[in-house]
Amino acid sequence: MRPLFPSVLILAIAACDNTITPSEALPPLQAASLDSAAGGWRMIVLSGPTQFTVAAPAAETSAAYAAELAAIKSAQAHLTAAQRSSIAYWSGGGVLRWNEIARELVARFNLPPAPRPDGTYPVPDPENPFADPQFPFANPPYAARAYSYVSVAQFEALKAAWYWKYQYNRRSPALVDHGIAALMPVSDLPAYPSEDAVLSGVTVEMLKVLFPAGVAEITQRAADERNAALWSGKAAASDIAAGLALGKAVATALIARAGPDGMRNAVGNATQWKALADSAVARGEIPWISQESPPRPPMLPNFGQVQAWLMTPAEVVSERPPAPPSTSSDRMTQELAEVRQTVEHLTREQLAVAYKWNDGAGTYTPPGHWNDIAAEYIRDARMSEVRAARAFALLNMAMHDAAVGCWGVKYLYFNPRPVQLDPSIKTVIGLPNFPAYPSGHSTFSAAAATVLSYLFPQAAPDFDTMKEEASISRLYGGIHYRSDIERGKEHGARIGLYAVGFAQQDGAN
Amino acid sequence: MQPRGSTVLPFLVIGLCAPSLRAQTVDDGLLMPHGAVATGFLYAHESWSRYWEGTLKRDNGNIGTLTTQTVTWVAGYGVTDRLSVIAMVPYVRTHATQGPLHGMHGLQDVTLAAKYQLLSTPLTDRGTLHAMVVAVAGIPASNYEPDFLPLSIGLASRRFSGRFTLNFQAHQGWFVTGSTAYTWRTKVTLDRPAYYTNGQLYLSDEVAMPNVVDYMVSAGYQRGRLCVPISLSQQRTLGGGDIRRQDMPFVSNRMNFVQVGALVMYRGIRLGASRIVSGRNVGQATTLRGGLFYTFPL
Repeated sequence: MRPLFPSVLILAIAACDNTITPSEALPPLQAASLDSAAGGWRMIVLSGPTQFTVAAPAAETSAAYAAELAAIKSAQAHLTAAQRSSIAYWSGGGVLRWNEIARELVARFNLPPAPRPDGTYPVPDPENPFADPQFPFANPPYAARAYSYVSVAQFEALKAAWYWKYQYNRRSPALVDHGIAALMPVSDLPAYPSEDAVLSGVTVEMLKVLFPAGVAEITQRAADERNAALWSGKAAASDIAAGLALGKAVATALIARAGPDGMRNAVGNATQWKALADSAVARGEIPWISQESPPRPPMLPNFGQVQAWLMTPAEVVSERPPAPPSTSSDRMTQELAEVRQTVEHLTREQLAVAYKWNDGAGTYTPPGHWNDIAAEYIRDARMSEVRAARAFALLNMAMHDAAVGCWGVKYLYFNPRPVQLDPSIKTVIGLPNFPAYPSGHSTFSAAAATVLSYLFPQAAPDFDTMKEEASISRLYGGIHYRSDIERGKEHGARIGLYAVGFAQQDGAN
Repeated sequence: MQPRGSTVLPFLVIGLCAPSLRAQTVDDGLLMPHGAVATGFLYAHESWSRYWEGTLKRDNGNIGTLTTQTVTWVAGYGVTDRLSVIAMVPYVRTHATQGPLHGMHGLQDVTLAAKYQLLSTPLTDRGTLHAMVVAVAGIPASNYEPDFLPLSIGLASRRFSGRFTLNFQAHQGWFVTGSTAYTWRTKVTLDRPAYYTNGQLYLSDEVAMPNVVDYMVSAGYQRGRLCVPISLSQQRTLGGGDIRRQDMPFVSNRMNFVQVGALVMYRGIRLGASRIVSGRNVGQATTLRGGLFYTFPL
């Protein structure tokens, strides 16, 4: 009995501490720079910062404004613990918090439809998002596009907000009236229109379109953000009202772009799916076949035709990698053997790499993983809200364009997975239901690492290591050939350079 | 997905009767005599083709039938007439008959148990009442991957259980046993930096594991060295999320089940079968068991 006591004791103690904090602990954001010139940074979708006008605010000396200040004091006198907790949560930065929330939404909606009893699959319906299957199926291309629309919309809205802030130069309530406490860091950044309200308005409108079944929670979070700004003494009611209106107005411009961007045709139809296989056969290649049971239609075959952010359709085509090794070539035989050898002799470390980067169904996807990585660097750099939005916009435009580029090539060649050519190969992660060449993980990761290395040059070696690990993890998983990975990385790096090129000239440096 | 959350339970129906088998279980009503040593191996073949996705019962063409084979080395020692210690080490291998997913294998969790007899007293003139407390610790014996359910061989959590068992042994050979345990489980560390479960994204590689309670009643008859018990057991996980529609199972899912079992034992040989009759986030497993045990002469 005696030897058992120490382990029993340790277990009993360890069992007591069993709580996990779900969200990132973010310190209150004290921006390293106000970025007062951000109103002049280059726009992506808007014609300019004045496309949506923000009317002049009432004077700080007006009776209306005095009433707003009094309301803040009154609210601060009766703050509940929940309200203080909300202030602490949002003080970490609205851009970072909304990025977390977007990742959560992707993870929630990243589930493929279950098969019907007759072996067919229903298609998620944006007109009926609460049904089974829920809408959307936030798979990697859908997620890449969603992250990019949220990030670009925030970036555009904040640049416009910065422009109007420095037009009107109204101070934060906590600076106007010393009877108001600054419960969040309050800076010399003009308060009108409130950047927190701009973010809440633009983000809620984008997320409602992208994740309509999440509307209740999204709306609540947006209201929380505005309330936190008010209660903290950072913004007055009129700062918030003007910000909310500007944010919602900017969202309309982004939603107008999203409607006809090609996403609604990305699923395709049975005739198109068959044509993809026929085309591969006509070229003398073995076409991709779904390995799911029952066979599932391929994931978003027409996503390669979705509008890119920073590349013209001609550039999307011209940057494509060459054809993969023929399915009947010796090279393919060798690469297939490498997959089998690798997966049958995996070390525990290789298995851990495969799981670290799996980012499969039910997760925030590879683009979400790179947002997770970027968020730490953005937090540590104490970027202003507008600069943080720029970083995420550059990253997510590059990954959206990577998805467009990669999916175009996948369905151009319609190349089978290793498991299809050699059924004796078993995978240690889920097998994606779309053609192998090139690797989406490799393309996403190289594009992301290229952008992040530009934004955070001191960490470039780290991003390169992560990119290599994410890419090779697909060989360890048994789901990709080496050619998929190598050509995917090259392709992704080329695509990432378009975002770097934009960043070099957008006026933010 | 599978009732592997508690490796204690597969042994629920074992060894209620013959003295040579007493040491191998943690939840019967019996003890080994002072100085006695017993050892043996158990083999279990568990399979299911239908499972509960949350509360929705379904099959899955990408799994087919999932089979888990387990070989467990068991040893027991009578420290005193009132205190026995037991050790178990299982080797587990999983396999899916359909789909591309790779089976896994390896040493699962070492279980150490100490059983102490609180009470052994004649009850009326018909038999004897026994009361036991058991402390059980389970620790992963290898660095296996818990994040690939239902193919993972275990959940990789360290466990500590407190068990209470009441047994009535009638002089004519009938017996009845009731047992219940509460199991604390430590956090599990995954190889990935974030996961979504129970309606929430967690930006952490650590997973909080809900605790578990189980209940068991068994009854049987013993004559000479033949013993035939039947049992009904239930596991309830006190928290955790459901498997979402068309999602993979997750390590901290709320894995509940009710299981019936029967066993035949003769000398050091045992054959048994059990079946899960209802469940949540587990496979509807049918398990066949065999064991060979040897007790060293004192």
